[in-house]
Amino acid sequence: MTDARPARREFPFLPVFLVGGLAVFLTYHARAALTPFLLAAAFAYVLNPIVSYFEARGLRRVQLVVCGYLGAAALAAFVYAGMKNVILAETEMFQQRAPAYLQRLQEAAYAQQVMLTKKLPLPAKVSEHAFESALGGVMHTLQELPARVLGLLPFLAHALLIPFIGFFFLLDGPAGIEGTIQACPSRLVEQAIHLLSEIDKALGNYLRGLLIVMTVIFVISFLGLISLGIDNALMIAAISAVSSVVPYFGLLMGIIVGGAMAFYQFGTPMAFVKVAVLFLAIRGLEETLIQPIIARHSLHMHAMTNLLVLILGGELFGFLGLVFAVPAAGVLKALVSVTWSWYTSERGLELVTSEGSGVPYT
Amino acid sequence: MSALKTLKRWFVDPQFSRKKAFLRSLDIFKDLHDGELGQLVQALHSRNYREGEVIFVEGDIGRALFVLETGAVELTKPGPGGEPVVLYQLKPGDFFGEMALLESLPRTATATATEKTHLHLLYKSKLDALLNGAPRIGVTIMSHLARLLSARLRRLSSDPKLVAAKQ
Repeated sequence: MTDARPARREFPFLPVFLVGGLAVFLTYHARAALTPFLLAAAFAYVLNPIVSYFEARGLRRVQLVVCGYLGAAALAAFVYAGMKNVILAETEMFQQRAPAYLQRLQEAAYAQQVMLTKKLPLPAKVSEHAFESALGGVMHTLQELPARVLGLLPFLAHALLIPFIGFFFLLDGPAGIEGTIQACPSRLVEQAIHLLSEIDKALGNYLRGLLIVMTVIFVISFLGLISLGIDNALMIAAISAVSSVVPYFGLLMGIIVGGAMAFYQFGTPMAFVKVAVLFLAIRGLEETLIQPIIARHSLHMHAMTNLLVLILGGELFGFLGLVFAVPAAGVLKALVSVTWSWYTSERGLELVTSEGSGVPYT
Repeated sequence: MSALKTLKRWFVDPQFSRKKAFLRSLDIFKDLHDGELGQLVQALHSRNYREGEVIFVEGDIGRALFVLETGAVELTKPGPGGEPVVLYQLKPGDFFGEMALLESLPRTATATATEKTHLHLLYKSKLDALLNGAPRIGVTIMSHLARLLSARLRRLSSDPKLVAAKQ
């Protein structure tokens, strides 16, 4: 008996790994130009479920997206008209005062270091050396902080470009996925859908979770800072929310930037402490109330793996790497999991429960 | 009134309505409500196949149910001499590969499009997502599959040739 079956490919996902590797290589070299496009793709991806919800009720995607954008633009114009003065004043004030606030915080930290050096029952040089070893990194970070904080502002400048590019991504919707399935060799269609659905699950859960965290941090920290009477509440809340892309970095930025502002504004360490308590409380709230909801749909990666990919992403791709390192790792995990699942089922390694199958049909 | 009609025509997607009507005409999905059919349309993937194109081969691991909208599909198995023997000719409205939704096991036949064909695919993980997110849709499909499986089993167990072979 001849076997009419075409030869089975040993590694059907090899082209996917190769294309993925090439995409990472090209992204690395064109990361500056790609930043708004990748952020816009993430933006569209996060908003897509809202469009899909109405699309499932039989409405056309193009009309939904256009109406959604017009509605959002009207709402933004309304909010801007109401808060125009606040936004402009805050932006101007922040640009003028932020370097001075942070400079003052550094000076205060240095003054504390000098005072403590004098109080220690050790020779001055030994104390200085001990402090340098223990706090050198922190002081260095503080010195670089103004540049880092201001370095985040260009990403806020993408605020208009991202929704613009995202509009076209949203219009296309799942057409890209359907196109990929159509282009895929027919015998690999099922594997392709498996892979796409795993990637969709990994990316969607992470990005939507991140958006929820950022929104909650922005709203609560803005309201909290306003109630404490801190200047530049909007900017501090925005910086803390954007920085929360990196775990604990949003908390740190909120405490340092907000605390510095409060310290400069009121001139007392208590003001700094109040802001620190506010951001710690927000972090606690996030841990206890928001994370459990998000964790149900998270990428299920170990905390150390998260940290490692964040460091690698930040080192290789800068801000873009910090945003996309974890979801990219999720995509890689999905790819490996699909490949393994394919391999085990092809080799008959998957366990099939057949308990009760010997009982006759009754 | 005519403005309302124009607005409706402008907003309502006729392709989507056509897909829903097609799914509603199938036995497996006929108990679903309008909104549920909308969710199901979004869970399905579509693909066109050329005449003679192999959809899957016997022994491939199956993970999706195929619904035939237009065209024709042939299910074959190799005969004693290796030549393909046609087991079944599928026509529009038929579905096949449904057992892949229950477990990922090798396909028991080869499926080939015998003319230009349009198929909808319901992938196993999409059905799992529906079972979690919209249980009524998942349960309706699963219940239909269970009835189908039971009917096939009943037919097999009452097959005189098989009964005689067992005795």
